[in-house]
Amino acid sequence: MYQETVIRTDKLTKTYKGVEALKALDLEVVPNSIFGFLGPNGAGKTTTIKLLLGLVHPTSGSASVFGHDIVGDTIDVRRRIGYLAQEPRYYEYMTARETLRFTAKFFYRGPRDSIEKRVAETLELVGLTDKADRPTRGFSGGERQRLGIGQAQVNHPDLLILDEPAASLDPMGRRDVLAIMEQLRQRATVFYSTHILGDVQRVSDTVAILDHGELIAQAPIEELLAGSGGVVYSIELKGDTTSAYQRVSNQPWVSEIHVAADGNGSRWQVAVTDQEAAERELLRLMLADDSLTVTQFGRKQYELEEVFMDLVEGNGNGH
Amino acid sequence: MATSAQLQLHAGSGGLVGLGNMVSKEWNSWWRTRRGLTHLILWLIVINGLMFLVGVDERQGSPPQEVLDELIEVFIRAGGLFATIGIVLATQSAVVSERQLGTAEWVLSKPVSRHAFLLSKLLVNGTSFVFLAVVVPTVVFYLQVIHHALMQPTVVPFLMGLLLHVEHLVFYLTLTVLLGTYFRSRGAVSGVAIGFLIAGSILPGVVPSVTALLPWALHPIAGTIARTSTVPDGAHVTILMCGLWSILWILLALWRFGREEF
Repeated sequence: MYQETVIRTDKLTKTYKGVEALKALDLEVVPNSIFGFLGPNGAGKTTTIKLLLGLVHPTSGSASVFGHDIVGDTIDVRRRIGYLAQEPRYYEYMTARETLRFTAKFFYRGPRDSIEKRVAETLELVGLTDKADRPTRGFSGGERQRLGIGQAQVNHPDLLILDEPAASLDPMGRRDVLAIMEQLRQRATVFYSTHILGDVQRVSDTVAILDHGELIAQAPIEELLAGSGGVVYSIELKGDTTSAYQRVSNQPWVSEIHVAADGNGSRWQVAVTDQEAAERELLRLMLADDSLTVTQFGRKQYELEEVFMDLVEGNGNGH
Repeated sequence: MATSAQLQLHAGSGGLVGLGNMVSKEWNSWWRTRRGLTHLILWLIVINGLMFLVGVDERQGSPPQEVLDELIEVFIRAGGLFATIGIVLATQSAVVSERQLGTAEWVLSKPVSRHAFLLSKLLVNGTSFVFLAVVVPTVVFYLQVIHHALMQPTVVPFLMGLLLHVEHLVFYLTLTVLLGTYFRSRGAVSGVAIGFLIAGSILPGVVPSVTALLPWALHPIAGTIARTSTVPDGAHVTILMCGLWSILWILLALWRFGREEF
């Protein structure tokens, strides 16, 4: 079945007073994904989001959301989007209910009862029912963020854009936000920017990394976590490793062995060029030596932070 | 997009998308907060309080027609001056604050046009302010006039004078909103607008030819019409130009706001 691309950018570029905040961005977001948009401060994440929403104008290039051009059809684009800003602001004299009602009325013209029902459902979803009729000026950071998620999804958008949705929240608030995102994924695509790499690894299925306005990686999370330096096995050992090292390093399919001391034993990172051969022989080669004990053996799982730092530092942003 | 069975989606994508909701929100900011009541009390004290003092002073043995003329003149000119400063101060933050606080960015991420955002401010600020600083004080003034002068103003010329007073306010309202799309601080917006108002008491003496083209002469014209039912020579040009300037300010504000980045 044909599924329209949710977001497609083509050489999308934004320049502020001669400085390129976004450089020829080519991005593609598929339906019903949770798309993590990563990058250090000033990488161009918020600029990209604002371009998609028509809040800033592209210097060159183009982009579409659900096939609608972000410049010419900006109202049609925004009809299908729910947006949560990095620091959400509301009219402080309005209550949470009034804020959601005001937002809903941009999308729906009635009937009034149905709008009120939708508002009540949204308050329930984000856990603000008991604070629904309090002016937002007295809301805590977490409550504002919950209201932000509420107003972003009161129209049941096809695309939810969240700019740093968990940045100002405590661990419990973050957990709740991630849970809401996973819940919303069933009916919408979620595109969100964040610095919190653990959250991305937990909920995202696709990740793009931006640095200095340039896209330096875009891939499914599993692909990114598999690493780009080939297959690496991580092995923890106890005992004399001299002969084992000799045996393993002589294998034609072993490209590199990195050894690090680890308490009483050592930890090896063995990079291989032939995964099948490694799976068949590597552990056997280690166990051939009776004096050696293998306490852990497995294919290395990269942490997103590791991948992120490698990519960003490789792009010249390392410190 | 998923919708519940009964909810009806808005359609259309013209330049006024979202205007109704924005007008409703602006209206509530005047009438469902203390803002409207504050202005009501303020303008009754400032304008009608002033008229009370003038009325008491003028009643000392003067002929009723003289008292009436004096009251109308003061009401149009002094009341007009206060109301003009008032409309600048009341709307100086209409655009600037929304931009600074981030609420403009939030609202404009929804399906609402920038024209609707700006026009709602002009419409609601204009009508609310005119109601509170012109209509209500005028009704009270009418009763004050009957009390002090024992006469009524001639209705049609008096209303024409008031219309010109409103035209003057609209000029400053549109100018203030326009300035709000250019400047980042409220001080700059109100400074330029009130500075322009004050320039009206200096520049005509230096460059008399500009007076007819700018709104500074509107209040004297309005006072003359309201008192004497006669339209001064050259008044048509000033009345027309003031209207044209207001339209120009609106168009410039829409153009500038359309290019704004949030």
